[in-house]
Amino acid sequence: MISGSALDGVELAAGVVLAGAILALWRKDLRSLTSVLALQGIALAALAAILAATGGDVGLGVVAGVVLVTKGLVIPGLLARVVRADPGSRETAPLVNVPASLVAAAGLVILSYLVAGQLTALMPDPLTRLAPLGLATVLVGFFVLVTRRKAVSQIVGLLLVDNGVALLAFLLTAGVPLLVELGTSLDVLLVVVVLQVLATTMRARFGHVDLDQLRELHD
Amino acid sequence: MTAYLIGIGTAGLAALVGAALPARHRLPGAAALSAAACLAVLVGAVHVLASGHTSGLHTAQVLPLTGVDLSLDPLGALFIATTAGVGLAASWYSVGYGAHATPSRTATAMLPAFLATLLLVPAAASVATFMVAWELMALTSLLALLTDHRRRPETRDAAQWYAAMTHIGAAAILLGLVLLADHAGGQTFATIASHRGRLSVPLSSTVFVLTLFGFASKAGAVPLHVWLPRAHPEAPSPVSALMSGAMVNLGVYGILRVGGDLLGGGQSWWWVVIAALGVVSAFFGAVHAAASTDTKRLLAYSTVDNMGLVLIGIGAAGALAAGGERMLAGLVLLAALFHLVNHALFKGLLFFGAGAVQHATGTRDLDRLGGLARRMPATTALFGIGALSIGALPGLNGFASEWLLLEGLLHGFASRSAVTDATLLAGVAALAITGGLTATAFVKALGVGFLGQPRSERARGAREVGPSMLAGMGLLAGGCVVLGVVPGVALPALDRAAAAGFAGGAPTTLRVGLGLDLASLHGAIEPALLVEGLLAGIVVAWGVIRLAPRRAELRRPRRAEAWGCGRELQTARMEITATSFAEPLQRVFADVLRPDRDLEVTHTVESAYVTQAVSYYQRVDDAVERVAYRPVIGAVSWWGRLARRVPNGSVHRYLAFGFAALVLILVVLA
Repeated sequence: MISGSALDGVELAAGVVLAGAILALWRKDLRSLTSVLALQGIALAALAAILAATGGDVGLGVVAGVVLVTKGLVIPGLLARVVRADPGSRETAPLVNVPASLVAAAGLVILSYLVAGQLTALMPDPLTRLAPLGLATVLVGFFVLVTRRKAVSQIVGLLLVDNGVALLAFLLTAGVPLLVELGTSLDVLLVVVVLQVLATTMRARFGHVDLDQLRELHD
Repeated sequence: MTAYLIGIGTAGLAALVGAALPARHRLPGAAALSAAACLAVLVGAVHVLASGHTSGLHTAQVLPLTGVDLSLDPLGALFIATTAGVGLAASWYSVGYGAHATPSRTATAMLPAFLATLLLVPAAASVATFMVAWELMALTSLLALLTDHRRRPETRDAAQWYAAMTHIGAAAILLGLVLLADHAGGQTFATIASHRGRLSVPLSSTVFVLTLFGFASKAGAVPLHVWLPRAHPEAPSPVSALMSGAMVNLGVYGILRVGGDLLGGGQSWWWVVIAALGVVSAFFGAVHAAASTDTKRLLAYSTVDNMGLVLIGIGAAGALAAGGERMLAGLVLLAALFHLVNHALFKGLLFFGAGAVQHATGTRDLDRLGGLARRMPATTALFGIGALSIGALPGLNGFASEWLLLEGLLHGFASRSAVTDATLLAGVAALAITGGLTATAFVKALGVGFLGQPRSERARGAREVGPSMLAGMGLLAGGCVVLGVVPGVALPALDRAAAAGFAGGAPTTLRVGLGLDLASLHGAIEPALLVEGLLAGIVVAWGVIRLAPRRAELRRPRRAEAWGCGRELQTARMEITATSFAEPLQRVFADVLRPDRDLEVTHTVESAYVTQAVSYYQRVDDAVERVAYRPVIGAVSWWGRLARRVPNGSVHRYLAFGFAALVLILVVLA
């Protein structure tokens, strides 16, 4: 059973993941979004490492390493390259403006606490009590997907959802099997690579990466 | 039962052969196998009809959970035998019909598959088996109907109508039967029938109304008939013949099986409703048939008409049985079933004939036909037998069954219920008026379509069809003549089937013989004598004309065009057309038909008093379709257009739907 400073570390890491999600909602500069993702990835990796150390679980340790490499370094790095190719790009006009987004995020966090209460009641232990943070990250990530226009913001939203799911998995199941984590990480990596290619092509062809202007492409 | 099962298996094999063999052997192989299948099934069904023994079969193998229950009783066997007869003819006919252009694998495979499902439905003895067979029948008939869709886009439209109607109907039947099985404590028909008396009246009425909706739409009762005049013309002719000669019958079978057998007769108002549907259908179908100029559309409406007559008989029988008149009920039901069998024979024959004409000329439009009697004499003679049968002329089978039906209805006036009396009266009136209208329709089809001079180049170049098609038509024509001259041979079998149609059975009133002899009602008719008298009269008249001394100038024949009233230089444009033939009737029944007419007169530029061209346009749409269906279809497509505005191509909107759904679910959970 986890306790003491290890628990403090886990709580801090989980808090950082959710804070990162809300930060992503607040910042309009796309460059800072990539830093936020890197921060989240490192926090997730740290969380997994702490869990691995306290449980003596080697597989989970490897997962922590994989998370650090993919979510902490490679994916944010790739995204940063996309952003750098289009300097000065900002999320200028989100569909819902920033103050309203923050209020909505507060609502989503409350909702996730209400819902996750039922999950926690199944097995009240210090880790499951943190589950609302993961759920809130998922919801905020989804919110970013719905309200932000730029292709990069979209992928950031998707990654936030993924990070939230990963956080939930670490907290509720005490770590996912190595194979599953590898699979999802590679999937997400692939998505980011595809996006990079797509964004480059879109810019070359249309001169922008604003998804709302693709509307004419529908049937 | 063994012969029946072998037959069903052979029909399945025929479908496989039709799908698998190379193009050259596909059609003959499938046709030979399905003809063999029909013969085997016919043997099995006739055995059941002759002996009256019911045999059943249960196997847990084929369907999971419920297994398959099959049972052959006289009622089911009658429908199976009818289908097998039409199927046998259709198998022969299909060889010649498909010979000009090799039909696709689907087309060759679907005819035997459709036939197999048609033979399966009346033998199903549990709700699950029945619904599976029923839906397979809907599916295979839809595919068989669609075989020409590449060449004719109208086929797709027809298929959409048919699919929609048949699925709404099947859903209603499923609902009704599941409700029934739930309350009767089991899903086999035997279990349900043993609970007959213990169901509450509202429940059994609900079940009856639900199943009636489905079965009436299959039987083509107005106002659920709209698929018939679309699907029957567009299907290939062997398929039309099976649809019209066998599939619509199964709607009647379903009403009898559920209403008469499983629910045991029930309330008298059920049967009054059926008779009312029958009266409306008979009248509406007959009027439209008289007004149609498309051969197959005419035949489809005439199917609506004849099914209406059968429904009148069934409704009257049910009402009489509910009033305690079991003897008369048995007679009327027997007459209705007899008419159903006869209709299968002559309607199959007429659809084959129309198909042969279409095969030879490429058109179904009566206004473009004519002069076929000289070019296709055998087809004309066979079509003529069908037309005379459906027109209920003595000596042919249509007369025998309509006479019986009329006798039964007229004797039913002795019943004690005013509602029943009114129903019978309406039935008699419908029988009378449709008799006249049907005669008009088929005088038109035969006279305009086959006699006179050809009205188009295609009709001029028509050639007699091959022996296999003539054989298919000849088989059914033979059936029409045999049942017409000696109707007595079919009566014992029909009597057993009618007894199985209503729980408890009905005592027979018929003296078995060659003719029809209603012992207890002092009515008898011997069509064989009529035919002999007729033939003798013809011989005498011929002899008198040949032998009588005549004046010299009359003895020298003067040749003129047939039907030209002695005029020389008769041209096709001087002949009456199908449209003009039907015109007076259309005026009389303008309120029912609501024809859409347009007369356009073009004047020359120089003077408004000089006419350059006159074009006349007329079209008769189905008024029921226009009033009852178009608004519903309009509302559905309006809803569809509205829904199309929701997905506007914005990724954010799609994501927002998902997000909103997720949040909504979480809120509900919280």
